[in-house]
Amino acid sequence: MRSLLLGLLLGLCSLVSALSAVGNKLLVIQEDESEKDNYSQFFKDLEARGFQISHRTPKDSSLSLFLHGVPAYSHLLLFPPKSKGLGPELTANVLVDFINQGSNVLLALSSDKSIPSAVSSLLLELDISLSPDRGSLVVDHFNYDTKSASDKHEVLLLPSPDSSRQDVKSYFGVQGLIAFPHSVGQVLGNASPFLASVLKAPATSYIYNPKDDSGDALEDPFATGTQINLVSAFQARNSARFTVFGSAEALQDTWFTASVQLPNGKSEKTSNQEFAKKVTGWTFKEQGVLKAGAIRHWLDEGAQKSTTDLTVLDVNPSIYRIKNDVHYSVELSEWQADHWAPFTPPAADNVQLEVSMLSPFHRLNLVPKQHTANATLYTSDFKLPDQHGIFNFYVEYRRPFLTNVEEKVTVTVRHFAHDEWPRSFAISGAWPWIGGIWVTIAGWVAFVALWLWCKPVEEKKVAGKR
Amino acid sequence: MAASQSLEGPGVRFFFEGESGRNTRGLLRLIILCTIAAAAVASRLFSVIRFESIIHEFDPWFNFRATKYLVEHGFYKFWDWFDDRTWHPLGRVTGGTLYPGLMVTSGVIYKVLRFLTFPVDIRNICVLLAPGFSGLTAFATYLLTSEMSDSPSAGLLAAIFMGISPGYISRSVAGSYDNEAIAIFLLVFTFYLWIKSVKEGSIMWAGLCALFYGYMVSAWGGYVFITNLLPLHAFVLTCMGRFSPRLYVSYTTWYALGTLASMQVPFVGFLPIRSSDHMSALGVFGLLQLVGFTEWVRTQLPSKQFQTLLRALVLIVFALAFGFLVLLTVSGTIAPWSGRFYSLWDTGYAKIHIPIIASVSEHQPTAWPAFFFDLNMLIWLFPAGVYMCFRHLKDEQVFIVIYAVLASYFAGVMVRLMLTLTPIVCVAAAMALSQILDTFLVASSPEDPETKANGSSKPNGNANIHEKIASAIPESLSSTKSAVVGIYTRLSKYVIVTACSIYLMIFVMHCTWVTSNAYSSPSVVLASRLPDGSQHIIDDYREAYYWLRQNTHPTAKVMSWWDYGYQIGGMADRPTLVDNNTWNNTHIATVGKAMSSREEVSYPIMKEHEVDYVLVVFGALLGYSGDDINKFLWMVRIAEGIWPDEVKERDYFTPRGEYRVDDEATPTMRNSLMYKMSYYNFDKLFPAGQAVDRVRGSRLPTEGPELSTLEEAFTSENWIIRIYKVKPLDNLGRSHQEAGLFEKGGKKKKASKRKGARVLRVE
Repeated sequence: MRSLLLGLLLGLCSLVSALSAVGNKLLVIQEDESEKDNYSQFFKDLEARGFQISHRTPKDSSLSLFLHGVPAYSHLLLFPPKSKGLGPELTANVLVDFINQGSNVLLALSSDKSIPSAVSSLLLELDISLSPDRGSLVVDHFNYDTKSASDKHEVLLLPSPDSSRQDVKSYFGVQGLIAFPHSVGQVLGNASPFLASVLKAPATSYIYNPKDDSGDALEDPFATGTQINLVSAFQARNSARFTVFGSAEALQDTWFTASVQLPNGKSEKTSNQEFAKKVTGWTFKEQGVLKAGAIRHWLDEGAQKSTTDLTVLDVNPSIYRIKNDVHYSVELSEWQADHWAPFTPPAADNVQLEVSMLSPFHRLNLVPKQHTANATLYTSDFKLPDQHGIFNFYVEYRRPFLTNVEEKVTVTVRHFAHDEWPRSFAISGAWPWIGGIWVTIAGWVAFVALWLWCKPVEEKKVAGKR
Repeated sequence: MAASQSLEGPGVRFFFEGESGRNTRGLLRLIILCTIAAAAVASRLFSVIRFESIIHEFDPWFNFRATKYLVEHGFYKFWDWFDDRTWHPLGRVTGGTLYPGLMVTSGVIYKVLRFLTFPVDIRNICVLLAPGFSGLTAFATYLLTSEMSDSPSAGLLAAIFMGISPGYISRSVAGSYDNEAIAIFLLVFTFYLWIKSVKEGSIMWAGLCALFYGYMVSAWGGYVFITNLLPLHAFVLTCMGRFSPRLYVSYTTWYALGTLASMQVPFVGFLPIRSSDHMSALGVFGLLQLVGFTEWVRTQLPSKQFQTLLRALVLIVFALAFGFLVLLTVSGTIAPWSGRFYSLWDTGYAKIHIPIIASVSEHQPTAWPAFFFDLNMLIWLFPAGVYMCFRHLKDEQVFIVIYAVLASYFAGVMVRLMLTLTPIVCVAAAMALSQILDTFLVASSPEDPETKANGSSKPNGNANIHEKIASAIPESLSSTKSAVVGIYTRLSKYVIVTACSIYLMIFVMHCTWVTSNAYSSPSVVLASRLPDGSQHIIDDYREAYYWLRQNTHPTAKVMSWWDYGYQIGGMADRPTLVDNNTWNNTHIATVGKAMSSREEVSYPIMKEHEVDYVLVVFGALLGYSGDDINKFLWMVRIAEGIWPDEVKERDYFTPRGEYRVDDEATPTMRNSLMYKMSYYNFDKLFPAGQAVDRVRGSRLPTEGPELSTLEEAFTSENWIIRIYKVKPLDNLGRSHQEAGLFEKGGKKKKASKRKGARVLRVE
């Protein structure tokens, strides 16, 4: 009880103080204290959204991501260090543990700085690959900022990303151009369903290593066009988020307020600040966080037919019978900045319920039936299949940029009990047989009566019959 | 016999003659029977005394669990029981797929004892049910034999043979709470009632026979033996021209009532009219009607016309019946013979077509020493007894002959059917032995009046008493007697009595020895001897099952080979994938495939079936030969039956055709999940390179196997049981091999070194 109250209290605290759904402790790793000032606006924005920021250097001896075996911070922001290493507290294994325990990481990279080995091996585990050459950056001869990079074309100007899929909400749309100076392009693997691209480089861009002047490098660049990602997102199975931000400089104060100009366009202000807010907001779980609330299912027949009064109903029984009508409902909420709100999927999408044993017997669209203050009530009514076994009512909703909803309720579906079949006299096809039985009985009784009251004519014959 | 011998005394004449003599004999017989029952019960208690009151082996654990369910939830709940803790995720309609006789019997005994305010535990009832019923079996054998033989000693001899013969004890020691525990009693008693009803032609006896047949059907699948034996008896009698109203009355009554009774058991249901196994009973039923009808027509018609009519009738009826049967079988209304049945006729059938049946050790053909081991001297008295039956071949002796022939054949085909052979062997052997004793002890020399006087010459006298008298008298009279040659001499009587006594004594010693050494091990608990000779208990099974019980979630699914399913269900109380009720071959093959495939193949199977733990039995450390590696080939074969392209038995043998686990084991063998789970970390117990498998007697590879999708959760004291936990899917979406490599610090190969065309990401 006490822990429950405490949890409630803590929940309330975080509710009022932070916009993140999971926690507000943010650890920022920056090697150089002085660099902090370059990002003052960025940090100010974060603090304004309720994050408690701790600044540490990778070499700090007291630095530890874990306290008593659990993550000490909910979020981690990694800026690229100057040196190759990140120290013993930030090895790839530690970072993987950190993610496995549900914490979120935003990794900023810069082509000016080296990429620590811990980071590159971690990215390989996530199926994100970077150019192996140090100092490689993304250039584009069509979408560069004429003001700051008229010569080298290494400051890319990109329009706002929009969702590539109809059934995915756009979480990163901004007004105006986003400037990406000295960015490190990432190439995403094809196999992992956990990866999603947030911001792609333009079709005319390619990865270029300024130090390598041989023609080969130009002929066969590491990656080109939209295969290059400037910002990519990874969401682990436990919904921990890991975002790679291709250009740390883009978060600096200077680029928050700079005005830029495309080669054939007019000068305009960057929307980097807005975009940074969106990306950190998503990574630190202010956006796209789903929660499944109460799951209820009950027998929807007999006395319980079309009632919704929970006091009367036998809610969540552990056993049903085959061919029972069942009502299933689940509450889904989406975190919106500081509160749980009813969740509605995009128009082209549906939340589905699977009734499965080894393979699905039903796959049903859940219907949003009712909106409460904090949740939408999704329901479905269905008839259990004519197959007994141990079934799962399984709601699995995995979409890019949304945390995974995976709710499994296991019920037993039994066979008909001996007294649940229709009685024989209720089946018209059985009447001839029932009639036959009674005729036989009557005939036998009549025969016995006859036998008893009639004197046998012949002694011999009786013995023979016997 | 020992009991009666001590009753010798001066008042012998008073006690053994006339009215009081009959009473004495009746009393003695009762006392002897009680003693036999007590001996039968007592000889089955070795395991309780040595170990504890515990349920044995595999199947009894299910029966025990079902009984507890019955006692706890009542009969109707039990009847409709859907068990969601076995055959995950299919579940089992347990109430409709078991023979409830055993559970109901112990449930009733429990309730009665509770009603009489005896505070008994249901477990003790279950443990002691089989010995208790063995006493009844001895009694039923006495009744059956008494119907067969005039000799009064035959029944008592048969009773004691039945009471202590190892062939029956093997299935009925205390704790062996299996269907056979009560079924053998019912089998013998049903036969007794059948013989009685054929003898008397009485509806009452036939009705009782049907009643006990119904009980038998509710208790054991072996009821099919009765279902086929009784019709065969009736058929043979008809063929021998012994059709009589007595036979007609008893058979039709038995068939009609018995079939109705058997159909009340849900597991049997409509089988009696739909399955080929039961067709002979129906056919003979029809035949008897026809024969009865013909007999009646014969009395009405002149014989010439009758001949023609009969010929036509026989032909037409045969053609019609056969055509009808074929039609029904082809159309599927009558189920074809079941696989177990085929394997009865062709011992190679199961091995080729249904490995699941062949994999059960008790379905193997019997080795010939087993007959001597289980029946000792009875096996050579048995043919003599059968021969005796030919001497006065009445209806009941025909039954004995048929039973003997059939049961001998079946016992030769399947080890477990030794059980059905044992009663008839006991009966026939007792008849033979009593004949010998009667001949030598009671028969008096026709010319010698002195002997005649002593051996009170009642034709139907009690042989037991004669034999006692005969053996008691010589002492005083031997000197005065003139020498008589042949079987009438004292000498031959002495020799025979001594020989028989020695044989019987050896038989008793053999039975005790076999019971004590071979059949009294619970197999859940193993016993071994320490160097100093003291007994050491190896209790790994229970240790592991209790670990599961105490350390895992109540709904954690445990995958193991089906042998251990019932024990896990009974002792660990955890859901299992497959168990000893091998009704679903595909599901078992799935587990077999998971066990015999590479980890990458097994893991999705285990995930699909929501497996949380995997349990293997491993005997290499202790030299326990009944382990999973030795059963492994059956898993492979069963899996191959369903997935011939993915699992191939040949791949598990070396090119020279050897089944090996050492350095020369094939890669398929060494990569199989079963091999990996068995030998995981085993080499760490030994100095480098010295790991030895004591069961297979081979040195294991220097490098032990690596596991990536499972982690070791528990290994019992002597490593007999090893339990592994199935890892969840990797959080970052990697394969477990990659994740494991990463954790160990290995670096993933850089993707940039790719060859060939670039792989582009599509969205």
